[in-house]
Amino acid sequence: MSIGEFSRVAGMDELPRGASLCVEVGGREILLCHTADGVFAVDNLCSHAQARLCEGKLKGQKILCPLHGAAFDVRDGRALSRPAIRPIASHKVKLDGESIMVALGD
Amino acid sequence: MTKENSQPGEARASGASVADTLATDSRGAPPPLLQQQYQFLGDSDIPCSRYTSQAFADLETERLWGRCWQWACREEHIPDVGDNYVYNIGPYSVIVVRSAQDGIRAFVNSCTHRGTRLLGAEGVGFSPRITCPFHGWSWSVEGRLESLPARWDFPHVGDDSHDLQAVKCETWGGFVFINLDPDALPLAEYLDVMPQHFQHYPLERRRVRLHVQKILPANWKAAQEAFMEAYHNFETHDAPNGANAQYDIFGSYVSRFIHNIGNYSAESLADYPGNKWRDPPLTENQLLQSLSVFGLEQEEVPAGETARSVAAEDLRRLIGKALGVDLSSVSDTLMLDSIEYHLFPNMFFFPGITVPMAYRFRPNGDDIDSSIFDLMVLEPLPEGAEHPEPPEPFKLSVEQSYTEVEALSWLAPVYDEDTGNLDLQQQGLKASRKPGITLGNYQEARIRRVHLTLDEFLKE
Repeated sequence: MSIGEFSRVAGMDELPRGASLCVEVGGREILLCHTADGVFAVDNLCSHAQARLCEGKLKGQKILCPLHGAAFDVRDGRALSRPAIRPIASHKVKLDGESIMVALGD
Repeated sequence: MTKENSQPGEARASGASVADTLATDSRGAPPPLLQQQYQFLGDSDIPCSRYTSQAFADLETERLWGRCWQWACREEHIPDVGDNYVYNIGPYSVIVVRSAQDGIRAFVNSCTHRGTRLLGAEGVGFSPRITCPFHGWSWSVEGRLESLPARWDFPHVGDDSHDLQAVKCETWGGFVFINLDPDALPLAEYLDVMPQHFQHYPLERRRVRLHVQKILPANWKAAQEAFMEAYHNFETHDAPNGANAQYDIFGSYVSRFIHNIGNYSAESLADYPGNKWRDPPLTENQLLQSLSVFGLEQEEVPAGETARSVAAEDLRRLIGKALGVDLSSVSDTLMLDSIEYHLFPNMFFFPGITVPMAYRFRPNGDDIDSSIFDLMVLEPLPEGAEHPEPPEPFKLSVEQSYTEVEALSWLAPVYDEDTGNLDLQQQGLKASRKPGITLGNYQEARIRRVHLTLDEFLKE
């Protein structure tokens, strides 16, 4: 699939509120996060030392890296705490009935 | 005008005391709220330099913040093994971690290799292993050194010589307390009467509904002292009640005020300026109207009842329904009043239902002229319910108003008033030619108690 094109990655039944789920889109690991503000998709790898964020924890709107405790805002991928400084990529999400559709950003 | 007495500290405002009010309430109060324990602690001035001097603040850093018990977070901030909470106090930083389902540990937030702070930001985190971002040394949640890359280069590092540096950690009332002094006395001793009193209003069965963290433009002591007396109510809040509040001193670490809501005595304002609320005094109906901010349904006080009894009954029903808790037997005073326990040096706990807060005031890094004020609203939790994940704090700068936090509702303008004097006070303390501040013997005794205990800590 190409950048910008939506594809189905999971069903809403797999992602209750407060949960996160790692899916693969075009060979890339993407983390889906269901927060009080809705469903968001970000890269699964921490921008600091490439730990897999799916092994961390979603708290509120933050995903916490299991390795050094860096936090990212899952709504836009912004790095919220050191040691991470660079953001992680954030991807477009739309819901089609019970399907979660993701289009890769860059 | 007032109940005069020759002994300093024995005079009181005229009118019904808190004990008088509690005795005529519609439902009896738990025994600790009927207790009165005031002590005269002296009347000399408190030096302004305690609020403005860098040398004094440095001494506090070393001998107060490095030695006293202080709450770092709530237990529900770290429900699962691997959850952690970073708490910063002045230059110090502590990691509180859930090390086992029933175990909480605390460590100095510093690598035992070259000192790097291990976890960056204050607040909640999750690390099943704590790993230093510099060279990758890592520790278990029990603080054991588990991985040391290039072990061959460190023959001088023993098997347990470089574990994380443990910090004393205990819990009470759903709060996790830490103490950086390895020789600190046990928390239970420090809490004095609190565990016994709070059996009647357990804080572990509360949830964090709201957490607001604001920077205040005053030294941490000046900031907290704005919340230790109700004497300011008349001028700061334009409110009639406050002069009859009760103040108690329980030992060196704990003090309390009980400030009745929904009543007042016109006589208590005898020597206040003007005739406001004195001539004519407010009627019971007017008093009830002043409580409309609580969202009461009743608009009139039936004959033979009081604004307090009507409001308390309304709130039992309304709050009980909203929270799913049975408040039918809760006393009027717990339903309505501002009941505030202070735990040395900087913590406040309110057992009330309508006024249900916890506060913490601490220095803002190394700036003596500003402080961080954490305010939590702690709602009763229904029986059997588990603690939900606490909300992230709203962070407000010095310039921002509490009214930006919609969930604070009627409390927002009150906090704006309380904190609105602080910049003026901090600047005035610096400008004063008079070397010290003067305190009222009764209404401001809690402030003096804190300074006396602080002196004990600051001794060599």
